[in-house]
Amino acid sequence: MLEAIAILFAGILYGLIIGIIPSAGASTGLIALFGFISYFAYDPYLGVIFLMAVVAASTTGDSFTAILLGIPGANSAAATMVDGFPLAQRGRAGYAISAAVTTSTVNGLIWGCLVFLLLPWYTNLIYIFGVPELWAFTLLALATVGFLSNQYWLRSILAIAFGIFIGMVGVNPDNNEARLGAQYWFYLEDGIQIMAVAAGLFAIPELTRGLFLKHSTADSKIREGELWAGIKASWDNRWLALRGGFIGAFIGLLPGLGGQMADWMAYGQAVAANPKEKFGNGNIKGVIGPEGANNAQKATSMITTVIFGIPGAKFAAILMSLFMYLNIELGTPDIADDTQLFTAMTFGFLGATVIVGLICMVLIKPISRLAAVPYKYYFPVLLALIIFTSMQYTGGWEDLAMLAIFSCIGFAMRHFKFSRPACLIGYILAEKVEGLTLQITGLYTIDTLVTRPIFMTLIAITIGVFLYSILRKGRIDYA
Amino acid sequence: MRKFLFTLVALLGFTTSALADYTMIVPQKPGGGTSQWAQIVATEMEKYLDGEKVILKHIRGARDIPGFNKFHNELRFDDNVIMVSNGGNGISFLNEAVDYNYKDYDSIGLMNLNIITAVFGDHDPYGDTPTSFSGGGGKIPEGIAMTLLKCGNLPTVEAYISCFKEKVNWIKGMKGNERRLAFKRGELHGTRENPASFKKHVQPVIDKGQARLWFHHGILQPDGSHADDPNYPGIQMEKLFVELHGEKPDSILYDAYKLAKSFRDGLQKCLWINKGNPNRAKLIAALEKVASNADSIAIIEKKVGKYEWLMGDAGNAQVDTLMTFVTSDALKTLVQFNTEAFGIKAVYKEDLVK
Repeated sequence: MLEAIAILFAGILYGLIIGIIPSAGASTGLIALFGFISYFAYDPYLGVIFLMAVVAASTTGDSFTAILLGIPGANSAAATMVDGFPLAQRGRAGYAISAAVTTSTVNGLIWGCLVFLLLPWYTNLIYIFGVPELWAFTLLALATVGFLSNQYWLRSILAIAFGIFIGMVGVNPDNNEARLGAQYWFYLEDGIQIMAVAAGLFAIPELTRGLFLKHSTADSKIREGELWAGIKASWDNRWLALRGGFIGAFIGLLPGLGGQMADWMAYGQAVAANPKEKFGNGNIKGVIGPEGANNAQKATSMITTVIFGIPGAKFAAILMSLFMYLNIELGTPDIADDTQLFTAMTFGFLGATVIVGLICMVLIKPISRLAAVPYKYYFPVLLALIIFTSMQYTGGWEDLAMLAIFSCIGFAMRHFKFSRPACLIGYILAEKVEGLTLQITGLYTIDTLVTRPIFMTLIAITIGVFLYSILRKGRIDYA
Repeated sequence: MRKFLFTLVALLGFTTSALADYTMIVPQKPGGGTSQWAQIVATEMEKYLDGEKVILKHIRGARDIPGFNKFHNELRFDDNVIMVSNGGNGISFLNEAVDYNYKDYDSIGLMNLNIITAVFGDHDPYGDTPTSFSGGGGKIPEGIAMTLLKCGNLPTVEAYISCFKEKVNWIKGMKGNERRLAFKRGELHGTRENPASFKKHVQPVIDKGQARLWFHHGILQPDGSHADDPNYPGIQMEKLFVELHGEKPDSILYDAYKLAKSFRDGLQKCLWINKGNPNRAKLIAALEKVASNADSIAIIEKKVGKYEWLMGDAGNAQVDTLMTFVTSDALKTLVQFNTEAFGIKAVYKEDLVK
């Protein structure tokens, strides 16, 4: 037990530091762990506790940089920044951070309990969903991330297609033959490794972006009484905070979405619910709305990830791969009986949510000073970690070459606004899409498929998502 | 200070290997089945190596081949390097262009395992409905065994291929856990597992009355025969064949079957070093102590089931026995059946027959 608590605190410390580093966040923090996760191979549940603590702590921690520096620690804090940073500029950083941490922690706890304590019950769904339902659900995941998450849906489709393409490089499961370049370069026979893809698409572009971000550090001095004022503001706006949590939870449930979309929707509902108030100039409701969403979204994203092995969000896709290194394959019957896994996930996420909330409130002054440490000191350490991580496959020049290639692709996709999360999820789901397609064609016929109501419902929803995306305007723009 | 701590943590990964006295090469990523087995064995062996350390180095790649190739071409000449291989390597050795060759190494020890199959519900594996079964390279012996059981002794490989296509629905693209799930849901008629996984995943389904045992391959003996498995008596493939067809299996496909199942199950979990490695006696002695320690062996058996170890020269003798199955006809039949029935790439390796 002592070991578990020590690991929990280690995860919280790492997650908190990653959270407050500008442009880093949960995904970058998780990517950097590929090089070290095998140290938990002998007791994988300690690894689970560590990873869940990193997720929970980094989500709460990134509010600091959004409010104090005007740049989000990760995409998930971008909406918080809009009203949080002006508050800090007016000398009310403590007020904004306190409100953000309180809201985020409370929603994290509510939705964390609903998700993690009930996960063993939810896993019964894997016996109800057969091959056709999983196939349809995977299509729905690709449709939602492709059509709903980005203003440029055509580019999203191309991003997904590219993700699926790189996910299919390697050996054809149908005939064991190398394909898509692997027949010429043996290095690719086992597929393109996730470390290079995730680090290249996200970590390197985001870390580099941090170097060039212009930001003015706001007044990070925390004044007396501001903490309680922030907590009181959260209580006064509790329905707004809970609505934000509900929005985050709902978006997290939709496979393939999450992250920024939930935050902006929660911010939008805060603005819509207060039409007479000004936003963007330091309205605390503009902080509370999106902060209600981010931890709730992280929690509910784990439902589809754990039960079906279909990542609910970008961070979940990386988390799923890290779990594989611990010999825990999500979306399989193994997990249904694995009570230790559920205990570890619950302990890691809920424990870290509570502790990091308390730490952020008690140590708000030193953490605020840490957030003001110039980025140039973080950058080389993080870059070294990412490169080390990317060389865990063979340790040879090929690993570095792949990192370089995917970094270029990541920069280009960000510049031309091709959805990188869509690409990553396409890459992660490629094997599943292909495998399930082979299975469904081998086991079923059209006649037997149309008699399955869940399958038909999922197909109908997928078509609905497609039609809705064509008719809808004002999609969210992020890449 | 922070920078220093981060650098320290990063360096830890690089320096750990320098502190080890022995390095076990695992041809998989950390967390895989063979990797877990190797980690347990390494930890247990360390107890009997007078303070010397054993660490794992993972060299991954398609079908676990690159790590074994690297051992063969470079690493085996280091006296402190031990290779860990599995049954998949045995199958690849027969019909893929791999560099490694078991004859070039000495065995420290190996585990001779078995694979057990089951059928779901009231499906009759010998009836008119084709048996749906999760395919893939690792299931080749099961695919051939069920073809033999369903079709009996036939004169040609082509006749077997035709019979297979008629009576087996070979489902591709399924990973191990997907297969288990599909079987529990009744989407697959048949499944297969190693003894430990069978106990965990299939036995509960059988206990509920939703499935029943089908066949197993038996355990390879020093004389080349396959004995019944005391864990699952009475359902060995050859025994079932006689019950079904009133005669012993005797065909060209049966020879290919013996070849494939023996190389996979007879080399299921192995430790190798280069021929003439001076550390061999010390390593064998440590492994023998592991095998005679009830606590150590209980941990290993939890992973792979209760099967005996073949230590040192007995492991080398096992390779000699396996090579007696390698005949030109058996190998050619295996390649043809792989290609035309299972639809997977396979090459005929003439060098193996010489």
